Amino acid sequence: MNMATTNLPAAPPVRSRNILVSVGFGIAAVLMYFGGLFGVYLRERSQVRSVGGSWIPDKARIELTPPGMIIWTLLISVAVMQWAVYSIKRDDRQHALLAVGTTLAMGAMVLVQHGWQLSQMNLVADEGPTTAATLIYTIVGSYMVAFVIGMIFVALMGFRALAGQYSSRQTDGIVAASLYWYCLVFIYFIIWIAVFIAK
Amino acid sequence: MTENQTETGSNAAESASGSLDIGGLAGVFGTSDHKNIGRLYIFFGLSGGLLALILNIFVRFERINIGSVGILDFGSSNQFFQTWSLSRTTLLFFCVLPLLIGLASYIVPLQVGAPSLSFPRAAALAFWAWAIGIMIHVVTVFTDGGLGEPDPISQFAQGMDPDATELSMLSIAMVVFALLLGTVCVLATIISQRPQGMTLFELPLFSWSMLIAGGIWVLALPVWLSNLAVSWVDFQGADALRYGAVENIWDQLSWLWSQPMIFAFAIPVLGIAGDVLPVSLEVPQRKYKVQQIAIGAMGALSFGAFAQPFFNPDVANQAVFVVMGILIVLPILVFLGGLVDTAFRGNLSLSAHLILSVVGVLALLVAAVVSAFHVSGPAVGAVQELNDSWLDGLISWLRDVQGTVLATAVMEHALIASVIGIIAGLYFWAPKIFGYQLNRNVGILSALTLLGGLALSGGSNIINGILDEGDEVYHSSAYEGVWDTNAVEFFNIVGAIGSLLLLAGVGLVILDLTISVILRKGNEENAKDPWGGHTLEWATDSPPPTGNFTDAPVVDNERPLLFPAVTGGDKQ
Repeated sequence: MNMATTNLPAAPPVRSRNILVSVGFGIAAVLMYFGGLFGVYLRERSQVRSVGGSWIPDKARIELTPPGMIIWTLLISVAVMQWAVYSIKRDDRQHALLAVGTTLAMGAMVLVQHGWQLSQMNLVADEGPTTAATLIYTIVGSYMVAFVIGMIFVALMGFRALAGQYSSRQTDGIVAASLYWYCLVFIYFIIWIAVFIAK
Repeated sequence: MTENQTETGSNAAESASGSLDIGGLAGVFGTSDHKNIGRLYIFFGLSGGLLALILNIFVRFERINIGSVGILDFGSSNQFFQTWSLSRTTLLFFCVLPLLIGLASYIVPLQVGAPSLSFPRAAALAFWAWAIGIMIHVVTVFTDGGLGEPDPISQFAQGMDPDATELSMLSIAMVVFALLLGTVCVLATIISQRPQGMTLFELPLFSWSMLIAGGIWVLALPVWLSNLAVSWVDFQGADALRYGAVENIWDQLSWLWSQPMIFAFAIPVLGIAGDVLPVSLEVPQRKYKVQQIAIGAMGALSFGAFAQPFFNPDVANQAVFVVMGILIVLPILVFLGGLVDTAFRGNLSLSAHLILSVVGVLALLVAAVVSAFHVSGPAVGAVQELNDSWLDGLISWLRDVQGTVLATAVMEHALIASVIGIIAGLYFWAPKIFGYQLNRNVGILSALTLLGGLALSGGSNIINGILDEGDEVYHSSAYEGVWDTNAVEFFNIVGAIGSLLLLAGVGLVILDLTISVILRKGNEENAKDPWGGHTLEWATDSPPPTGNFTDAPVVDNERPLLFPAVTGGDKQ
């Protein structure tokens, strides 16, 4: 069959970095999405406060214990996720899978704590909807969606590692999942400070 | 997502090449081949362009009075703004972006010597999500949905349906998410699938421009999605407070159609012209890296996610916005200078793609100049120490034109420039995409029609902007406060004629595609490389076989077919 391409010399195969590059662009997109939300939140908050208004509804309860627990859980999960990367780079698949599983368990804990916190905040029950409630629900809700996507991504990469696709010669999938996970932790750190601590 | 395991070299040897065979219905609906995906985007994108331009004609007709009677009455401001906003969303999301992503999905892997697009199944998912999303969006607008309207909330009861409005928001979010996914597939291909020796500075200019433009889209469109998310959450409440109120939704989203952001969707016009002209003139592009830097500078100057008047009403007076709006002219001028420098050394022979690409770049230049004029009020205000009364009057006038149809003129020039550039790319790469050349004479006629249409339509908006015709206003108040009502009315008629010409120009291209490709009447001689191309896409058959290349070649310059990397690698 005539393939009729050019006589240009053939190149040796180059290892593709597709997944790392794509996740890099994905992380940039997620950071810009939350950057947009934080920008709106902080601007609206400052405008309300500049005229002496109360940003968080008076009867809302934003306690620091759940966000504090979430941030500690996430910080520990960073070390655990890095353990997965460390293990896969040394062909220690057993520990890599253990670390991925532990990270997912921590992720489930974070979701439960988020759900509990949202049910306790009383943002709209007594005073009706407010712009603060709208923005907080948008930020936290978007974060939960991004977080679930992250858990699916980590689980998928874990299954691929289980199937033998990732090893010390090819770690891109686990590394990419870990980078996205660190991005999620960073975003929650901003939520923790800008929304829950600064109120 | 899966990596590109579906089309590899081993498959390539078994596949047919050099003929247009999309594989029937299975090839259309089940494909993850970047070539079929690209063709599908192009087919749907041109259809979307027709819809957008028809809607634009309706909007134009609404402003025309014969005697004191308007020739087209929408019945309510609600229906007018639904049509008005849909004409903008369709032009960007149903025409320009999908056409660019479609062209890039097809051409970029070939230009970088890759066997396929990165994540081909994700690219297919992106296409179908986009197609379904945009169709839902159009239907929701025709069922009294849409992205709100700028009149007071009392108008809501006149027609907008809350459920349809909510579906409009969700569907357009789906569309943008899909376009982002398609963009990431293209970007990953450019970054990670280049052959050995091809650095980023040796990328063909179209691929380079897609890298720059796609990067800006990936950074800016998520911010737009965050605006939409806030509106949607607020819209859920029994009473929307601020962001989800119908009179506020469009205001939060409109920055995507305003300067500087609108220029991000026209960056590939430069890349297409940069690939088309040197080949048409049979000379290498002069000052290649300067051209790349100009495209990069245009990308940097078109990032407009910060310029959101809804949250920052004073943005039009802020230095960054004004400086970006004025400086955007420079990279286009530099790029045009590089093209002219190349043209002086080449053999000029008029082809459809050459004329179309020049028209596209010139239209973009006009958009940038109008943009600079549009934002120049505060810049002139910065030299107010001259304290001249006429200068004060000039500053006041320049500030006034910011709320006029001059903004529409900038958007129209930028997006239509993009459409013209894409059509230039279609005429240039048609042999590669379809295996047939398009008709040269029809292409030239289309170029002249589009040029005339843009001159009349965009030009009338420039003049009416100077005459103070309001933007985003319904017929009843469009003429309030204008300098000369008769002149504005006259130029609205001229603009409507221009819109008709734009529609005719795109219609001619679709007609040519139908006759040349679908009816197979086009010239298929020497389809592999009819123009004497410089870049890798011309090194393989037309259309390329599955897998594109038997082996990825070594490349050490930006014109691998003109100057092969190793002696003896002559171009076939």
